Amino acid sequence: MGNYSASLDKAFRALSDPTRRAVLSRLINGPVSVKELAEPFEMGLPSFLKHIKVLENSDLIASKKEGRTRTCYLKPKQLAKAEHWLGRQRALWEARTDRLAEYARSLASKESVK
Amino acid sequence: MTDEHSELTISRTIHAPRSAVWAAWTEREHFEKWWIPEPIKCQVVMMDLHPGGGFATRMSEDGGQTFKPHVEGCFLEIVPKERIVFTTCLTENWRPFDPWLALTAIITMEDEGGHTKYTARVLHKNQEESRKHQEMGFEEGWGTTLEQLDKVAVDLVAQRQ
Repeated sequence: MGNYSASLDKAFRALSDPTRRAVLSRLINGPVSVKELAEPFEMGLPSFLKHIKVLENSDLIASKKEGRTRTCYLKPKQLAKAEHWLGRQRALWEARTDRLAEYARSLASKESVK
Repeated sequence: MTDEHSELTISRTIHAPRSAVWAAWTEREHFEKWWIPEPIKCQVVMMDLHPGGGFATRMSEDGGQTFKPHVEGCFLEIVPKERIVFTTCLTENWRPFDPWLALTAIITMEDEGGHTKYTARVLHKNQEESRKHQEMGFEEGWGTTLEQLDKVAVDLVAQRQ
């Protein structure tokens, strides 16, 4: 269960950026080379590749290299998980519990100083 | 019977004594700091810690100028420093309510060698009844992400048909 929520957290983090969402939308129509994917964006290739890396690490996309061309394609399974309402609720309560843990810890350390 | 399709259990060891965790949960000024993620502001409207007591929070996405309802519910059980149970299917004084997201949350706190074992078990309606929650992404600032995600998912389904 821990792995499930950790991977879902990654997916949500990956989805939090407009460039990465645009890449996902584009890949819906089929595999696209990194070079073509990068074209519409006003950023250097190294910055763009960082976004691709985040998407790959979150398991939302994968890529393969043929000759000199790297092509990206969508991995719908992780996306489907994040889309499911219970997955969203889990991510919400996980994050909420982390915030509480952090807050209570700082509260306790403040009180022990008093 | 547990239902993996409509139930969540989240556990953490919190590195603080139970009294601190209890205070963080039950005192308004503390609760408002963690219930909703930054930069959205949370305001506790009701936190009446007894069975039948009202529980209500509001949220502000414009730095505290305007607030809209967030959670509205009713406490079902309160055991100081041990257990909090609330539901969104009732409001203050057990009045029936039809929430946008029906849930019952069972929060427990146990000692664990000077730390606290914190568990949140969250029960939802069964899956069939939960279809309407597809549109529920507009909570806690997930709006844009989930709008986009829904679009991607819908397109994906359309592609496959």
